[in-house]
Amino acid sequence: MGKYAKIFSLAVVLGLAIFLAVVAGDYGPWYFAWLVGTTMIVLIAAAGAVLFDTQEERGEREI
Amino acid sequence: MNLIDPTVVDLSRLQFALTALYHFLFVPLTLGMTFLIAAMETVYVITGKPVYKEMTQFWGKLFGINFAIGVATGLTMEFEFGTNWSMYSHFVGDVFGTPLAIEGLMAFFMESTFVGLMFFGWDRLSRPAHLAVTYLVALGSNLSALWILIANGFMQNPQGASFDPVTMRMQFNSFLNLVFSPDAQAKFVHTSIAGFVTGALFVMGISAFYLLRKQHVALAGRSFRMAALFGVISSMAVVTLGDALGRLDYLVQPTKIAAIEGLWQDSNAHSSAAAAPWLLFALPNDATQKNDFEIGIPYVLTPLVTHSMDKVIPGLITQENQAGPRIENGIKALNALEAYGQTHDAADLAAFKANEDDMGYGFLAQRYAPDQNLNQITPANQGAVIAKTEKDIIPNVFVTFWSFRIMMFLGFYFVALFAFASYFSLRNELQKHKWLLWASMWSIPLPILACEFGWITAEAGRQPWSVYGWLPTFQAASSHPVGYMVFSLIGFAVLYSTFIAAELYLMFKFARLGPQPHHEVPDEGATPMFAARAAE
Repeated sequence: MGKYAKIFSLAVVLGLAIFLAVVAGDYGPWYFAWLVGTTMIVLIAAAGAVLFDTQEERGEREI
Repeated sequence: MNLIDPTVVDLSRLQFALTALYHFLFVPLTLGMTFLIAAMETVYVITGKPVYKEMTQFWGKLFGINFAIGVATGLTMEFEFGTNWSMYSHFVGDVFGTPLAIEGLMAFFMESTFVGLMFFGWDRLSRPAHLAVTYLVALGSNLSALWILIANGFMQNPQGASFDPVTMRMQFNSFLNLVFSPDAQAKFVHTSIAGFVTGALFVMGISAFYLLRKQHVALAGRSFRMAALFGVISSMAVVTLGDALGRLDYLVQPTKIAAIEGLWQDSNAHSSAAAAPWLLFALPNDATQKNDFEIGIPYVLTPLVTHSMDKVIPGLITQENQAGPRIENGIKALNALEAYGQTHDAADLAAFKANEDDMGYGFLAQRYAPDQNLNQITPANQGAVIAKTEKDIIPNVFVTFWSFRIMMFLGFYFVALFAFASYFSLRNELQKHKWLLWASMWSIPLPILACEFGWITAEAGRQPWSVYGWLPTFQAASSHPVGYMVFSLIGFAVLYSTFIAAELYLMFKFARLGPQPHHEVPDEGATPMFAARAAE
């Protein structure tokens, strides 16, 4: 995929995200909160695992 | 018209409560574990480390046991609406059937289809494709819950439908109002995230068991860390949504919120609304309509419930007294409706329309009318009928008050437990704090208990209504013989208890066994997904 195609694709995704946020924020604020919150919860859990590996590699881990 | 036998109504309620509470022993774990497993697989796909594949497959196996047994318990409930609640199905079937049908056609099939790919697709799908499947299972299971909770939201705060005097039933007129009902929204997020807490504590508790025995340490340490972080945010979100639901109940279900708070008199009865105490402990007495004993914290109730310092929360006795005129109007509405059914006269229709909003209160009065016929209410006996009916608008305060408190105290306990677990896991000090590992292990059943008490709060607090303000529960049941109800109740209790026993046996067996080596296939996951790109 070319550089401009990537930028365009990201712009489309961003536009859709903003549209979703505006519509969902008006009509379904808690549904929107669930979408954002669930994504955040999953990502923070995943980040915790990656941090665990980093700590292990540095020899900090004793569990 | 004679109403349904109260014994049959009580048995129908008991049967639905039993099957729903049994079903909900399985549901929260499914809702939560799917996303936690998806998080584990995400790390596997990104890092390529086999331990995360092992984690995904091991926790996936425990999820699979729960899913396979739990899904069967949910199906019977959908049929119960037709068999035991036929009047309810007739009255609101157009509205209520729609989300149930969508749940069956869209979410349930989506979830069931992809769950097969999730279990058997490891060797057949690429890593990103399998990850997408796992996310679709997670989304599908939560979408199932969404549509059920939209249906339940309608029962708590009916929106998107209106009564049609010609067809004598609620007609569905706004899909958007139904789906975006504030009650449905808050209830879905509260329930879904409560499932996240359940899944997180399940994984954290079993991981703690391994860490205490120093078994499967690589898997358990990582699982504990992920579950603790997953749980700490989820538990805080559950409390936030609980507050939103309480505020909503204050606005649209005042009898429920007053019962939850054990509030017999208005919140400004003693001094000011702002000073009203939030009851930490109380013994509500439904017979005498007061609390036999109470310990409260002043200046907490009003801001907690109303999000202000001056708004008054009406007490149950006030609400009982205020119901009188609504019952009178409801009787007028139903008499006008009956007349309109015979005459199709515009005046009768106008008389009905003038009192339509209170129609449900007329239904409530029917059980106390002479021969259970509202036409036989006269000026002489109307006062007595209304006085008896007024008492019925209040739910069981003791049950609602305590089921809410047990749920809430457990909710705050989870916040504290996950906070400690996250902190000590991030500092790699779990083995120095074995109490935390023991507490995590023994707390595994508590979120399920909290979910059960949450449902008891929601449904016991909605009484005496099936559909709040529109259809009383005693009007909604089917007219079965008592023997049929007893037989089917015993049958469900035995069958579901067998399911629970099978679930517990399999869960204990496979949790004790721990992760087992899978059949040997080349592990393409050993290569991080972004490694090739990074090397370019």
